[in-house]
Amino acid sequence: MIEITIDGRKVEVDPKQPLVRACHEHASDVPTYCYHPGLSPVGSCRICQVEVQQGNGPPRVVVACRTPVAEGMVVNTQAPGACDARRECLEFLLKNHPLDCPICDKAGECDLQDYSFAEGQTEGRSVEPRRKLEKRKSLGDVIVLDQERCILCSRCVRFFEEVTEKPQLTVSDMGARSVISTFADRPLQGNYQGNVADICPVGALTLKEFRFQARVWNLRKSFSTCGECSRGCAITVEVLRGKDVKRVRPRYSPEVNQWWMCDTGRFALEPYEGERAPAALMRGNEGLVAGDPVQATALAAQLVSLHAPGAVIASPWVTVEEGELLLDFARRVGAPAWFVSPAANGLKDDLLHTGDPCPNRRGLLELGFEARTAAEILTALPDMDTAVLVGERVVELIGEADLDALSSAVRLVALEARPPQVQGIVACLGVPSAVERVGTWVNVDGHRGTIAASRAAALGVPPTTQTIQNLIDALAPAEVEA
Amino acid sequence: MSEPATYLLERSRIESAHTMEVARKHGAYRGIEKVLREGWTPEQLIEEVKDSGLRGRGGAGFPTGLKWSFMPNRAKDPRKRYLAVNADESEPGTCKDRILMECDPHGLIEGILLAAYAMGTEVAYVYVRGEYRLPYQRLSNAVDEARAAGLVGQGIGGTDFACEIWMHKGAGAYICGEETGLMESLEGKRGHPRPKPPFPAGLGLWGQPTTVNNVESLFNVPFIVDRGAHWFRTMGTEKSPGNILVGVSGHIEKPGVFEVPLGMSAKQILEEYAGGIWKGRALKAWFPGGSSTGLLPASMIDLPMDHDSLKEAGSMLGTASMIMLDETACVVRAMEVIARFYDHESCGQCSQCREGTEWLHQIFGRIEAGNGRQEDIELLSSLASGMAPGKTICALADAAAIPTHAVVRHFRTDLEEHVRLGGCPSAGATQETVGAAG
Amino acid sequence: MDEVQEQVPEQDEHKDALTADLRAEFDELVGHYPERRAALIPALHRCQEELGGWLSPDVLEACAGYFGMEPVEVFGVASFYPMFYLYPRGRHEIGVCHNVSCDLRGAREILARVCEVTGAQVGGSSEDGRFAVKTVECQGACTAAPMFALDGAYHENLEVADVERILGGLQ
Repeated sequence: MIEITIDGRKVEVDPKQPLVRACHEHASDVPTYCYHPGLSPVGSCRICQVEVQQGNGPPRVVVACRTPVAEGMVVNTQAPGACDARRECLEFLLKNHPLDCPICDKAGECDLQDYSFAEGQTEGRSVEPRRKLEKRKSLGDVIVLDQERCILCSRCVRFFEEVTEKPQLTVSDMGARSVISTFADRPLQGNYQGNVADICPVGALTLKEFRFQARVWNLRKSFSTCGECSRGCAITVEVLRGKDVKRVRPRYSPEVNQWWMCDTGRFALEPYEGERAPAALMRGNEGLVAGDPVQATALAAQLVSLHAPGAVIASPWVTVEEGELLLDFARRVGAPAWFVSPAANGLKDDLLHTGDPCPNRRGLLELGFEARTAAEILTALPDMDTAVLVGERVVELIGEADLDALSSAVRLVALEARPPQVQGIVACLGVPSAVERVGTWVNVDGHRGTIAASRAAALGVPPTTQTIQNLIDALAPAEVEA
Repeated sequence: MSEPATYLLERSRIESAHTMEVARKHGAYRGIEKVLREGWTPEQLIEEVKDSGLRGRGGAGFPTGLKWSFMPNRAKDPRKRYLAVNADESEPGTCKDRILMECDPHGLIEGILLAAYAMGTEVAYVYVRGEYRLPYQRLSNAVDEARAAGLVGQGIGGTDFACEIWMHKGAGAYICGEETGLMESLEGKRGHPRPKPPFPAGLGLWGQPTTVNNVESLFNVPFIVDRGAHWFRTMGTEKSPGNILVGVSGHIEKPGVFEVPLGMSAKQILEEYAGGIWKGRALKAWFPGGSSTGLLPASMIDLPMDHDSLKEAGSMLGTASMIMLDETACVVRAMEVIARFYDHESCGQCSQCREGTEWLHQIFGRIEAGNGRQEDIELLSSLASGMAPGKTICALADAAAIPTHAVVRHFRTDLEEHVRLGGCPSAGATQETVGAAG
Repeated sequence: MDEVQEQVPEQDEHKDALTADLRAEFDELVGHYPERRAALIPALHRCQEELGGWLSPDVLEACAGYFGMEPVEVFGVASFYPMFYLYPRGRHEIGVCHNVSCDLRGAREILARVCEVTGAQVGGSSEDGRFAVKTVECQGACTAAPMFALDGAYHENLEVADVERILGGLQ
């Protein structure tokens, strides 16, 4: 580490990082467009100009992203020369940029808008017509391009080239006629396309999925972890008015996913269509009907006390905290603890994909659960009196139709998020989904990621830990050890 | 008054001087043979060129010997190194490297060999602008002849000196005449200039030490070696020694490229070489060194054509390509044309240049067409100040800004009249087709 | 255009847009540089000259295959340079310089006459496919202004009457 002065404060900075990183880390809001910490620096947008002075030299205005830090450097981000240079640069960028804020998805999280608000002139001086380009150019299933909004920072071009290592976009033509393009209007490919909408500093590249869905300032954001595979990318879950998950975006995590996530996780917004399981369902003459949770818990506890379950089978979405309780429960009822191990999903690469669609495999294995494939479970179930299935998607992963095909001689207790269509289930206690409860998952490398309760669970549905604890408490006194 | 000494164009005037046989007969390759025969060290050669005071002839006027000395010490940095010859001549008004390549290609080859000897660059690429078919052809044939004569390739002149020369075509972009834009283009990419630092001598072509030199700069070197740095300094001025090729174009009787000593006044060049302004008219405005140097008024025609005199006068020598406008010409129209040029040629990386060159063009276009506003004149200056100096990756923004400042400074009245009258007040023949801008 | 199996990393199933002769030229060219890609722009020139006066998507894709690049990268390079056409155009290309030295000596009149004689608009091609007319920036013929380049060959010191004489009989 070396020492420099930024805006009058002496700070310690990493000599391997460009000056702009030091500025950002020490709360100096230097705007950046072409610079992104996860991509190579190009120094083309020119917005990050600051004044630096070294040794006995005169102060110079430089672009911070291309300036290495040096011991004793004195940086003034608010020097008049630097402020003027940034303001001039901003005016040039706004000259052709369309006044789309009222209809642009990026509004509220747009770097250009933010800096214009902070530093810009109230009126532009240009009376020239703005460039007319394509405004809704589909780049495939995920991304739509608005060429007029593009400020040619080239982050998207560099993303595909450097992060996915397969160029898909280019700047075509030159000068003021430059536009971002694919080759021959071919759609973008691959499972990382959504990232370019994140890194685009303006609303030029946006997600089709999110188009006109919400104003970002109406979204409530919480830090969570993606559950679509064992990478467990750090994410931000964004919920509109406490109800719909409108967007999921990657969150910077140096150990897990850097700044990126895949599209599978990004677009897994609402895994459950249709109704959610209420706090309790009990089997009656008309099938599973909503009931009193205390009764349903007691019924389930009674069942497993009288007929030791052949297995307690967890969904791989079960958290470490739930798993600990579940193990306790399994021990008390004398059942082995398994979890459903889904098949490899065929997505495996050097970037983020692990190929294992299982967010907490390692966490459950470390606790002592045994992995069983759906096929193994279905083979074993017919020999059981009872079994307990715990966690969101456990029924789906074992196979709803296959479970239903088992005779009701195998009596099942389920803790599930969706009402299961399985005749053997005598009681089902509702559980919240991964965006409705808190807990920890352990990813493929042993990194612990937390999931957040981004929105409330269905009415009356308590956290899964609570439900499991209730079950434990409801077991026959003989099983409850002092 | 005796004629000034000349050397640059001497061989070009001789028929078939582009062939090895004729060129050799008239002194080509004497310099490299001398260096090899007398066993000069590379350092000696660099010193000689430094002593001569030769300044780059591509537009920037940077001392050539000094530039060569930036290449890293070979013992400390044994990486392969390259010479790139900038034959991308694209500055409006400039057509002098073309003549050297077409008429005396062996002179250039010898210059390349000497540069390669001095800097240890085993491979030289000649980046010729794509439109220069005949120069490319002549130079390419000359390289083949030189190779056949054992002067290009391995074991030159029976020594262990090696220099391979490869021809490389550009494809029409002015920005590829910028040294880092040239390198990007040579590497097979879009011609986007690179930020400096790092400098080419440290990190150039494919990351290796590289020097980029202009055709005319290299062309001077064999003469310096053959006749000595002292001799070179007998011509020109103290700070700008030697002769230079001055192109004179526009409203003159005898357009052409003329070899003159640096420091000769523009007036003398205009009157004694270019036949004066045509059709008996008077001079109104002129570019001293290509469009990027900006317009100067007729009152400044006495300026000596050398680097420092023009710099002191608020302009630049550039490529020493004088473009002359007579009294009937419209400076606003000339500005619209060159503003259009920079708008067209900006690579588009830097926000200020990409948007600024377009904006300047649009404003000049409106003023020229009669739709200008008084505030546009202040706006031109303000935008030009926002673009340069030193705010962008390369100097194209400066090349657009300098002429803008110059026209506001020297020809404000012309601009104001266009605004006031809603059109061009000039009644000259060139105005017959005044129409929409661009 | 023949399909020839050369020693290339991957061969496309669809028809190869590059001729064997071109590939042989490229094989020689790439030897001049430490990285293959450096030969791209000279190669694109040759493609344009030999394959119909423009660079079609097929040609760009074939070049990408030859140089081990993605088609989008080749497209990005080709689209940067004013000398490359990415769309088909008339057989004879006329580039009329309209920069300052030529403008001062009547380039606009020459341009107008060129459009008249060829029947093409600036930036377009004549309907009969004979001509493509475009304005170009300084071509380095300033002391012989005005000028145009016809199929790459410079015609300088032009007067309006020359235009018909030079272009009239071309097929």
